[in-house]
Amino acid sequence: MERKIPLPLLVLAVLGFAYMLLPILIVVLAGLTSGEFLTFPPEGLSLRWVIAFLQSEKYLSAFFFSFRLALMTMVVSTILGTAAALFLSRSRFVGRGAMRAFFLSPVVLPGVVVGFALYAFYISAGMGISRTIWGLWIGHILYSTPYVIGTVGAALATYDVSLEEAARSLGASPWRAFRKVTLPNIAQGIQAGSIFAFIVSFGQFEVSLFLSAPNSEPLPIAMYNSLRYKFDPSAAAAGIFAITLVTASVLLTNRLVNIRRLLDRQ
Amino acid sequence: MSFVEFQGVSKSFGDTIAVEKLNIAIEKGEFFSLLGPSGCGKSTTLRMLAGFLPPSTGRISVHGRDITRLPPEARGIGIVFQNYAIFPHMNVFDNIAFGLVERGEQKTEIARKVDAALEQVGLSGYGGRFERELSGGQKQRVALARVLVIEPEILLLDEPLSALDKKMREEMKFWIKDIQNSIGITTIYVTHDQSEALTMSDRIAVMSNGRLLQVGSPREIYEQPSSRFIAEFIGESNLLDVRVTSVNGVSCEVDLGGSLTVPARCSKQVKLSPDERVSLLLRPEMLRLAPMDAQEAPRLKGRIADSVYQGALRRYRVIAGEHDFVVEVPNRPELAQLSSGDQVDVFWSTESGVVVP
Ligand SMILES: Nc1ncnc2c1ncn2[C@@H]1O[C@H](COP(=O)(O)OP(=O)(O)OP(=O)(O)O)[C@@H](O)[C@H]1O
Ligand SMILES: [Mg+2]
Repeated sequence: MERKIPLPLLVLAVLGFAYMLLPILIVVLAGLTSGEFLTFPPEGLSLRWVIAFLQSEKYLSAFFFSFRLALMTMVVSTILGTAAALFLSRSRFVGRGAMRAFFLSPVVLPGVVVGFALYAFYISAGMGISRTIWGLWIGHILYSTPYVIGTVGAALATYDVSLEEAARSLGASPWRAFRKVTLPNIAQGIQAGSIFAFIVSFGQFEVSLFLSAPNSEPLPIAMYNSLRYKFDPSAAAAGIFAITLVTASVLLTNRLVNIRRLLDRQ
Repeated sequence: MSFVEFQGVSKSFGDTIAVEKLNIAIEKGEFFSLLGPSGCGKSTTLRMLAGFLPPSTGRISVHGRDITRLPPEARGIGIVFQNYAIFPHMNVFDNIAFGLVERGEQKTEIARKVDAALEQVGLSGYGGRFERELSGGQKQRVALARVLVIEPEILLLDEPLSALDKKMREEMKFWIKDIQNSIGITTIYVTHDQSEALTMSDRIAVMSNGRLLQVGSPREIYEQPSSRFIAEFIGESNLLDVRVTSVNGVSCEVDLGGSLTVPARCSKQVKLSPDERVSLLLRPEMLRLAPMDAQEAPRLKGRIADSVYQGALRRYRVIAGEHDFVVEVPNRPELAQLSSGDQVDVFWSTESGVVVP
């Protein structure tokens, strides 16, 4: 049976997609220009700036720095976020709502505020981590963890606690029951959360602006810096790589999750 | 000492008292039901026994051993949940094997036991299925197999039939009872369905608002309820407001009003005194109807107010003076069919009238 979508909705959906995809298309086309400057529409197509990106020491190191930072952030955010979501869903106490809001606050607070607050804190606390990868890492973790709390929290909301209780009364210790029953059933939420954490960290700009060191910049900062002095198409080429990486990581994880499902069925 | 004992067990959640000063003693091998309306604390009681909830006060013991503070995995108690709680990420085989794996049993031994369990619940060949590929009744069988395979000392069932349709429920009722009989496991069965409790149990505990009201065999609970609440909750009832005129052991006389005094049974537990206001319980199937002027006592003169055909039975509403009765009469051809407005006598045998405080 064919499902009929009302025409106005269809039009809205198409417009919405266009609105979201157009900037990406523009960046990709601009990065493929054969001209000297960042223009749209591009003056002819070539791989000139893509090659320039691949040969640029500055961009490549920024790209891999961001990649490494996003991975490190993903690992810690996933663990912290999952633990926090479990705590929030399992415990009953006064002020739980306030605590949840507090955990999620980095998402609602402007990134500039979070970045500046951390910067000021590092300086005044004299910890010597301002403008180092460690300080930056902490900032990214702070910024990414709420996304994990959100997705894992959603998974836990639909998770039936009696599954874990059944495991316990069948003889499993609390840890074994969690690992063998709860974890597999909220794995999708954790996976989605970790992709979010990776992507959010990879694209993070405001917090990085305050916390990154001049010689080790994440990709968004490097792009911004180069565009400040010269309207350079290699920034758009860098954008192409960033978009590709993010898309690939989403597709790959999707794939992994599905493969796991398939294996389960055997 | 009984096998399972609750001694003064209470549980409160903040301001709500879910269970209050519960004392229950359950014998080994017994099929014991906790029966009561929704929210009366049945599940809370069961969950305290399973070890998922710590009691606020009181003590729970099994075999004389205090288990109040023991974690669930150390209790050797199996529980089947209302929604079955089949692990969705494991197939039926792995679900049933779960407890055995946790006990570190040998692979071959596990396979043998799981196959035997599947056979016991009539699901041989279903080992490879997943939860989403099972019907409600099959899930229930898997949940039961998963528990029975670890040979627990006590089996807890929390409204295991409530998610099934009526026909399936009837079938599973006898099936569960059969399995329980064949392995003789001590079973505690939670339900709000009085007919389940009556047909399956050795003894029933009736609860209301977190309190235990009465414990007894299905027959005692049905025939000699200790309160109006129980009489109304279990089966259908006619409860007449009466006054005690004399008491003599387990028999007494009550005044029905309109200068009619009839003998009735009263239970030994309840101390009655003359002149006390009580209720006379008459079950609808205990009453008989006859056209006026037959000679049998006790009897009341009344009028049919309503008559409903129900297949095996015909159900009448009869108004007799200040009293209002529901009467159920089997549909046999030799019994007269009465209709609204007919004048009738309502009568019953002396033993079938029970005084309820
Ligand atoms: N975790 C909890 N937090 C707060 N109140 C609870 C909790 N669990 C149960 N209660 C309350 O305790 C009372 C008894 O609940 P319980 O689940 O034992 O009832 P029940 O007899 O099993 O009812 P049902 O037949 O509907 O399952 C209810 O008033 C319920 O709201
Ligand atoms: Mg319940």
